[in-house]
Amino acid sequence: MANGAIAMNGFTGLDGGVGGVLNGRYSEEALNAMVERGRVHSAVYTDPVIFEIELERIFHRTWIYIGHASEVANAGDFRLRNIGRQPVILVRGNDGVVRVLMNRCRHRGAVVCEVEAGREKVFRCWFHGWTYDNTGRLLSVTAPEGYGEDFSVEEHSLTPAPRVESYRDFIFASLASDGPSLREHLALAAPMIDLMIDASPERQIEVDAGAHKTIYKGNWKLVGMDGYHPNFVHASVVAMWQRKADAGMGATHRSDPFDGKAPTYTRDLGNGHAMLDLRAHRLLHYPQYSKFLAGVPGGKEYMDAMFARDSEERARLLLAIAGDPHTGIFPNMQIIHNQIRIINPLAVGETEVVMFPVLLKGVSPQINALRLRQHESFYGPAASGSPDDAEIFERAQRGMMAQVNPWIDISRGLARETVDSDGAIVGNVTDEVPQRAQMRQWVRLMTGAESSKSAAARASGY
Amino acid sequence: MYNSQLLRAVEEFLFDEAELMDSHQYDRWMELWDEEALYWVPCNADETDPARKVSLIYEHREQIEDRLFRLKGRHAHAQRPRSRLMRVISNVRILESGSEQVKTSSNFVLGEVRLDRQTVWIGRSFHTLLLRGNRFKMREKKVVLLNNDSPMGNLTFLI
Repeated sequence: MANGAIAMNGFTGLDGGVGGVLNGRYSEEALNAMVERGRVHSAVYTDPVIFEIELERIFHRTWIYIGHASEVANAGDFRLRNIGRQPVILVRGNDGVVRVLMNRCRHRGAVVCEVEAGREKVFRCWFHGWTYDNTGRLLSVTAPEGYGEDFSVEEHSLTPAPRVESYRDFIFASLASDGPSLREHLALAAPMIDLMIDASPERQIEVDAGAHKTIYKGNWKLVGMDGYHPNFVHASVVAMWQRKADAGMGATHRSDPFDGKAPTYTRDLGNGHAMLDLRAHRLLHYPQYSKFLAGVPGGKEYMDAMFARDSEERARLLLAIAGDPHTGIFPNMQIIHNQIRIINPLAVGETEVVMFPVLLKGVSPQINALRLRQHESFYGPAASGSPDDAEIFERAQRGMMAQVNPWIDISRGLARETVDSDGAIVGNVTDEVPQRAQMRQWVRLMTGAESSKSAAARASGY
Repeated sequence: MYNSQLLRAVEEFLFDEAELMDSHQYDRWMELWDEEALYWVPCNADETDPARKVSLIYEHREQIEDRLFRLKGRHAHAQRPRSRLMRVISNVRILESGSEQVKTSSNFVLGEVRLDRQTVWIGRSFHTLLLRGNRFKMREKKVVLLNNDSPMGNLTFLI
């Protein structure tokens, strides 16, 4: 596939037989050929046929982040979520167990819960009145005498997601009945989730501060971890921060972590997960940041509690990064700054990003309020950062419709990336290590290709 | 019974404010604010506790000034090109009036056109207006969007 024009002919014809597209479907070889070393065919972002395959082979198969246990703290608490295109209910039953149930009546398929969040003892389908308890068990059907003797109420409970596992209260589900465990899937990303949780003196976060729901006209894969974009996409914010060191996110963003010279890195954490590793840079600014934090009511007590609990080194790190792992968990979750994000693919060119600000248990109300204000300053539909990201994603989506030369370039840093002792591929913060990590996992799931376990082998893969 | 002169003066103020927002006259809009400004657009619900729940906008004077600083620059991409805006203010009510301040509510329908897409925004604004000589200053403005619980696109213009 050396020539863009040939590649385009191969990938865009859906009439069958041409370039690996058979009966409107792509062969595994064709999908594999769309990701080369350092470049990706843009049909991966623009072709609705590929989007359908992504739903089937990625979102309806791999581990999908559903929600945090604190969102359903009490018996009967529920939240509506999606696994790809499939509606599910995250619910804590009266037995205390958190479940992920398909939101579909076992009778004629209507959703049994239409309210986004709440607390219920039962879910009733208002089509014909079938009623389930909050563990999913079918309690009753209307006029049961109409069913024969072999009809079993017990066998008509709400269908659970085939697999549900959690990591420190982060709940994931998979629609595949077998596959790697969640812990295997998270790979090197698990300790990054710890960075967010352990920023609480009680090692507990609370996800009950509401959510920003944003939507943009672009492909879901455009929301990535990208340390090359801030000085352009967010030029207006950088200019604002340069005016005042402590304003908004500026409190944790002294100097420029994205100038290519700061001790900031990209890390491929395996299985498509990737991180902008800002830890060393934030530590450099810990003296100023701790002074700022000490000025917030409860700030000094927070720092004391952290140093009393952890080693000096760990406490300093957790405080300096303010619980920000800056990590993307493939395919639908990011933990960035003070928030957990869920990425919902709606169509090949439409994506919803839901941002849940995280509160820390065991800190003063003023610190949590500050975290909310920091979040709002950059994230959400009316903020200084997210709308510019969305705007640029939309420009990328429009631009990629020009397909005479259909390849997009993700080669930055290929020549200088290294492999860390833990197996992570590491690059400069501006390098496209995260984009390559994302596309490597994409190929693996889309084609069923068994990827090599070692990062070194991954690094030389393409 | 409303003081019809007061109601008329409030309406004039709200219409003027709408015009400044629609035409992106950021500095003149800023002049409408009191020193102790609070610009609040709740998220997820109409009534929330901002100390515990996230807002779309919860800003005092300094953050409002930052917002305008960005919008006036050349690199606030989500407003390049700018949204074309036109809003209708109606159902103006005086909720409380005293010698120093007036609290009002008003509804708006805002048409936004940007990049060939027209979006309609609907909401209710609550203003706390200080009487300063023969002029009003905005102490607090809370905007309850009808869709504050729904996914939304770009809300980077003044609302």
